[in-house]
Amino acid sequence: MINLSEYFGRRLPATTGTDRLGTGKLAVKRVGQRYQCQRCQQWLANSDQLPNGAWYCRQCLQLGRVTSQTKLYTIPEPNRFSPSESPLTWTGKLSPDQQRAAEKIRQHVQQGQSQLLWAVTGAGKTEIVYPALAWAVARGWRVAWASPRVDVCLELAPRIQAAFAAVSQCVLYGEQPAPYRYSQLTVCTTHQLLRFEHAFDWIIVDEVDAFPLATSPLLQLAITRAEKPTGQHLYLTATPGEKLQRQIRQRTLVATYLPLRYHGYLLPQLRVKLAWRWREYLRKGRLPRPLIQQLLTYLQKGQRFLLFVPHVRDLPEIMAELGRQGIRGGVSVHAADPERTCKVQALRDQRLSFLVTTTILERGVTFPNIAVVILGGDDAVFSTAALVQIAGRAGRSAKFPGGEVTCYVQTQTRAVRRAQVMITRLNRQGKQRGGRRP
Amino acid sequence: MTICVWCARTFEPPVTLQDLLRWRPLPVPALCLNCQERFTPITGAHCPACGRQQATTVRCHDCERWGAETLTNRALFQYDAGMKAYMQQYKFQGDYALRKALQTPLYQALAQQSYDVLVPIPVDQRTWLTRGFNQVTGWLHGQPFQQVLRVKADHKSQPQSAKTRAERLVTPQPFMLDAAAAKIIVNQRVLLLDDVYTTGRTLRQAASQIYLGGAKAVTSLTLAR
Ligand SMILES: [Zn+2]
Ligand SMILES: [Zn+2]
Ligand SMILES: [Zn+2]
Repeated sequence: MINLSEYFGRRLPATTGTDRLGTGKLAVKRVGQRYQCQRCQQWLANSDQLPNGAWYCRQCLQLGRVTSQTKLYTIPEPNRFSPSESPLTWTGKLSPDQQRAAEKIRQHVQQGQSQLLWAVTGAGKTEIVYPALAWAVARGWRVAWASPRVDVCLELAPRIQAAFAAVSQCVLYGEQPAPYRYSQLTVCTTHQLLRFEHAFDWIIVDEVDAFPLATSPLLQLAITRAEKPTGQHLYLTATPGEKLQRQIRQRTLVATYLPLRYHGYLLPQLRVKLAWRWREYLRKGRLPRPLIQQLLTYLQKGQRFLLFVPHVRDLPEIMAELGRQGIRGGVSVHAADPERTCKVQALRDQRLSFLVTTTILERGVTFPNIAVVILGGDDAVFSTAALVQIAGRAGRSAKFPGGEVTCYVQTQTRAVRRAQVMITRLNRQGKQRGGRRP
Repeated sequence: MTICVWCARTFEPPVTLQDLLRWRPLPVPALCLNCQERFTPITGAHCPACGRQQATTVRCHDCERWGAETLTNRALFQYDAGMKAYMQQYKFQGDYALRKALQTPLYQALAQQSYDVLVPIPVDQRTWLTRGFNQVTGWLHGQPFQQVLRVKADHKSQPQSAKTRAERLVTPQPFMLDAAAAKIIVNQRVLLLDDVYTTGRTLRQAASQIYLGGAKAVTSLTLAR
């Protein structure tokens, strides 16, 4: 039996019940001499033909293969949700600053405007969206909360479900174990939006500057197409890229700022320290002396820390050298590490004293009292956004708003300088709103 | 610069002295070094019946259980996390381009086998329609083969992975010989080719059909064990 609600606002292949789904559209179409995927709009290579004659798209294979023999079916989004007067079950309180930002966002939504919220790391941007979301849900809107990062989705979903306890919610990502269910709220990776068409009245894009969304026209198309023609979106970011900043300056995108953390303290600034030839040291399996000294001091004081390094391949050597120098009680963690969540939790629970990691821990992870050290901040992997995000790991809790951020470099790069400038500028604005130095 | 067919990253193909001394043009490797290392080749001691990697060269426990129904199988790689990820994308997601990833190692392995006729294990009609290719013949690159086995029309295809070991072992004979088979295989040494050796049931069933057609000897080669 075919479940028609699966097709509400989506574009899916069908094996049965096609008589009730209309004509459908070919998933891979011939355009001139070439073939184009109608799901992800990418062109096929001329080698992407199967022995049975069909052409298939490799670009969106992760969503299930479509070929020139596949048809995609859609049922226009009917917004079939039971209305609820006050869907927000969250009982927390917004600070006056958060309240102000939340109010602005709701106004923009009511006026039908697409917009951006630029809130510093640790501002509590998720909760700031709740009042507007409550309004949207009460009106029967279908809403997606999408992020390019799976870990951000996984962290968000339970929070949003708790805040809107009676509202149907569905979580979608590559390896999600639960089947799809037609829901008013969809928390998903931006990639999953490729399966939708004109479904959402409002799309919230969290960490809009994060990889790979910022550099992927494909994912940007996914957002546009998943949104209804009458729909709108809200970008959330702590570190907007240059393109978004330009749009804000030119007033083609309305923006709301929140330059102050929820606890009212200013952001910790990057302290740049010279580490002469850190790269050569690393190649010989050694670490700069001042770095060793600093980490030893942290250990003696019982101060937990995160050490960020440029590349996964350096991790084993660095761990070995730390051990030789008597810096023990921590582990390394990288993107493909199956124990990633578990290690992060261990540091949070104080069962570990430190983690050595790459830029994968730049977002979405919070530790109450943590010092942050970056080795090789002048390496190309550390973009301005990455550095600001990494610095933003420190001083998150109201009890420990301080938190040191040290960045070891051999040369001062543009990215490092821009990160410092961005933090200074945000702190200047923060101060005007009564922000305090920790 | 070459683009890795699996991870899509560009890489500089390494050139070995051996490559330079060969008179043929250099083959373009399909995989970057990182992706190559996701496979674990079976080297040294292995079970003489199923080809699994082990410390000794006597028949393994699983093969002992087959008793007199012996088989001589060689396998190229271990069926570990890397191979499973590969099969998932190639076979189950249907990424036909990934066939290129293992064409070269299979080419080399076939060159070391002695046989007269190469017979790939076939896929059934439904798989052919939905997947659009036979995963086994996809790995062949110019080597001649004979499709003398067919899957019986009434054979219920159910993924091997969905069955328990006991269920897999009692599956009735799924294969029949093609009408033209006898001419091709009679008195010949036949090498069967399959993707993964799991219980060995499929290969044993195929082998018994091939013997029925008058083959002199039947051995087999699988990509993974
Ligand atoms: Zn596609
Ligand atoms: Zn690769
Ligand atoms: Zn064996």
